[in-house]
Amino acid sequence: MPIYESVMQDKPPIVLDIGNAYTKLGFAGEAYPRKIMPTEVVLTTTGKTKRLFDYERKEELYDQIVDFLQTIFFKHLLVSPKERKFVVVENIFGQTVVRETLARALFVHFDVSSVLFVPAHLIALSTLAVATAVVVDIGYSETSIMPVFSGVQIMSAFKDQSYGGSAIHAEIKRQLLETGVKESLLTESVLEDIKVRTCFVTTMERAHCRSQGDENQPTPPPSVDYIICDNDTMVQVPGALRETVYEIMFEPNNERDSLPHLILRSILECTLDARKPLVESIFLIGGGSMVQGMLPRLQQELQHLLKNDPYYAERFHGNLQFKFFNSIGKQNFTAWLGGALCGATDLIQTRSLGKETYLKNEHVPDWSNLCDNRHAGS
Amino acid sequence: MSFMQPSPVKYACSCGILNPINKLFFCRHCPKLRCGFCVCHEIESHFCSNCLENIPSSEARHKKNCCANCFDCPCCQHTLSARAANVPVVRKTEEIKDGESKESPSGAATPPAPGSSKPSAIPTTKKIYYLSCLSCRWTTRDVGIPDQGVASGTWPDNECLYQARFNTLVDYYQSIVLQEKQEKMEFLRRKAPKQHKFPSLTDRTGLTVSLIRRQIGWHEKSIPKTKAISITPAEVTADVGGLPEDIFTEPLNLRNITTIAQRHGQPGDQPTAVSNLYPQRRSLWIKRSLRCRQCEHNLIKPEYHPTSIKYRIQLFASYHVPEVLMVRCEQPLQPGKSNAILLKFSNPTMYDMTIRILSALPPEEELITSEAFQKACKMNEEAVTSSPLVRAIGLTLSRQNSTREVKREVEDVSNAEIVPLESEFVLSQRDDSKEFDEDVQLPTEEPKFIVWRKGNKVLIRLQFTPAADLPANTDVVMGFFMQYTYVNTVSNASEKKEPTTNALHSRIFINAGATEKAD
Repeated sequence: MPIYESVMQDKPPIVLDIGNAYTKLGFAGEAYPRKIMPTEVVLTTTGKTKRLFDYERKEELYDQIVDFLQTIFFKHLLVSPKERKFVVVENIFGQTVVRETLARALFVHFDVSSVLFVPAHLIALSTLAVATAVVVDIGYSETSIMPVFSGVQIMSAFKDQSYGGSAIHAEIKRQLLETGVKESLLTESVLEDIKVRTCFVTTMERAHCRSQGDENQPTPPPSVDYIICDNDTMVQVPGALRETVYEIMFEPNNERDSLPHLILRSILECTLDARKPLVESIFLIGGGSMVQGMLPRLQQELQHLLKNDPYYAERFHGNLQFKFFNSIGKQNFTAWLGGALCGATDLIQTRSLGKETYLKNEHVPDWSNLCDNRHAGS
Repeated sequence: MSFMQPSPVKYACSCGILNPINKLFFCRHCPKLRCGFCVCHEIESHFCSNCLENIPSSEARHKKNCCANCFDCPCCQHTLSARAANVPVVRKTEEIKDGESKESPSGAATPPAPGSSKPSAIPTTKKIYYLSCLSCRWTTRDVGIPDQGVASGTWPDNECLYQARFNTLVDYYQSIVLQEKQEKMEFLRRKAPKQHKFPSLTDRTGLTVSLIRRQIGWHEKSIPKTKAISITPAEVTADVGGLPEDIFTEPLNLRNITTIAQRHGQPGDQPTAVSNLYPQRRSLWIKRSLRCRQCEHNLIKPEYHPTSIKYRIQLFASYHVPEVLMVRCEQPLQPGKSNAILLKFSNPTMYDMTIRILSALPPEEELITSEAFQKACKMNEEAVTSSPLVRAIGLTLSRQNSTREVKREVEDVSNAEIVPLESEFVLSQRDDSKEFDEDVQLPTEEPKFIVWRKGNKVLIRLQFTPAADLPANTDVVMGFFMQYTYVNTVSNASEKKEPTTNALHSRIFINAGATEKAD
């Protein structure tokens, strides 16, 4: 295949997955990203670090995106963005303003030749070479669920909730403040480090014991002395905290919107024929799903609900067993990996949004926009 | 000099962003101020910041932008240094030698047992190398990477575990996409048959088609269809394992668990245990060149060699635009009360400058000169530089796009009114030898506002009034236009030899400090 080879060797497309907490960046056709970096910009005016998507005015966002991309190209990827092809992995329900601003920065400021926007859930599935699965993306600011059947996203069954990494951080902070730790110590990076290094998802039996609050509580795992280097202080992370912070994803409540409920409801909103294959193929992606014990707990909860919750028991029939896919590579860059696969094919030539097309009417085609969706239009 | 703190004097770049003069560039061809935002950045060369070796861009791409010889510590991202150790070896037995050099760190300290059991053998020493971090004391021995016989070049890379699977996936999707493309082309071909002038049956049917085609030397008409490579889809599993039992009882040792930065430093496998950290190849740095988006001339071009910090082209604004320094304010700042500020102007160029301070944009006629000059410059350049083809395709296209960058209005942040100077004044040329002159200049007739003058520097007093409704403790910012004559020595026109003089202007904002409480 001479076309690919010449394209790939010369200028491989750049694949970007700009998440809320971390940005994955690298080149198409490579098995892992070159770099996973925090989605933060250092403001040139004040020298302060700021999250990319914290902005007040649209121009501010544009400047921040330009600064951010500049760092990516000249500090990390070390390639000139001019006349390059791009794959951008995007949240399908992401904000239009972010998308448009990103496209404007790429096309107008950096003069790139084409951008291919790919939806994260669908493209993550391509790393498995299967066409049907419930893709659960546990990210930083939200957890979203998108069933994909035969390669088609079932948009009406999309679900999302606001528990992600940031909610876990808030929970760790709340519990630590209760034990009397000074608030000034608990910066976002400290909380993240505590989460990543000490916390895990406990088993269902233990969680139920705790929530019922009866006499024989399980003994909590040992506490950990966590040293905050910047302040030369030590914080004790209680064992109960390590075990229970992830419970906010599984808490039963009247809204019935905990993670297992959300998955089941999402499957229920698909057609009858699709349900059984979907139950048997669940795919967890996103950095939040890398925590120890998440998969077994989720399976336990799902099976438990299926059996004991009358609402689900009368809607799901047959002997169902929830099954899970193992991702290739780590889950936090699975969506990026899908983009890297996509960028390695000829799709980059045929499906991309070219510079000329963009500059003609300065608009990124969007599935939710009727102007771009009419069949006659295209 | 405000070297470490942000400068109170800001220049408005031609794109509308405010910057101190040391962050600005001056395009001599336009001639306008440019800043880092409105120029085009390009990569000039790759080099390793540790060994200062220049690496050609093709090799850099091949090596994934990493240096071949230098490594970073996976724990603290400091540079690793190779350390040598002597290991006693016994000449006679080959296996022992091999076994030893691969063996553990204690090899250097304690002589191996076989050597001592055979005193007849002559013990010699052999140099082995390991990598060590001088900052956090991490060594390659900590994680069981065998010591190497040579200091550089032989360190193993940690391969990606799923590379084979990834490659099959890439092949699979490429073949699928190719197949789809072929089917589409086939469909289009059938839908719209080619209209020949003279339809010939032999062209379409029969055994003769392939015979004739072969005789002519054409390729076979039916291209063999590419079949999509089949791939085994990922296995789904109900057995997801469980938490290890001891997680509820065993105390956690944080020293053995990597931080998130350490994990992301190794994005391929992201180890959770410290024992799986590998030395990381040091990523390269680049030298950048900057190019004006309007006229595509280089503003900054560094010298090629990594050890050199000089430039081949350097059009920093401070070499061309008069520098304004705030010396002091005469009185404490109070809203609504007239005040004076002392400003020092210095001329960095080799030609005298005439400067006017205005409170509003200078009238149109004077601006035209610079526009006309720019146009002439452009036209001349186009005539001189490139072949018609390049000009038609490359230049016009890119120029069309680069000018698309939207110019924004200068944000008027000023909240003080200045009194424009009644007359213009001259800044004499820069003369380095005059710096050391002892003799005082002859007193000449000077306008009243000039406080002091020496060489290429002038100190002036500028009257201003902060707005009356300013609350206490707010920064007083005054804005004015500085018009200066600039002698442009750039001559890409063959007929124009003598330098041209333009009247340029730049908008300047000065933060004079915070207001005091009115009493």
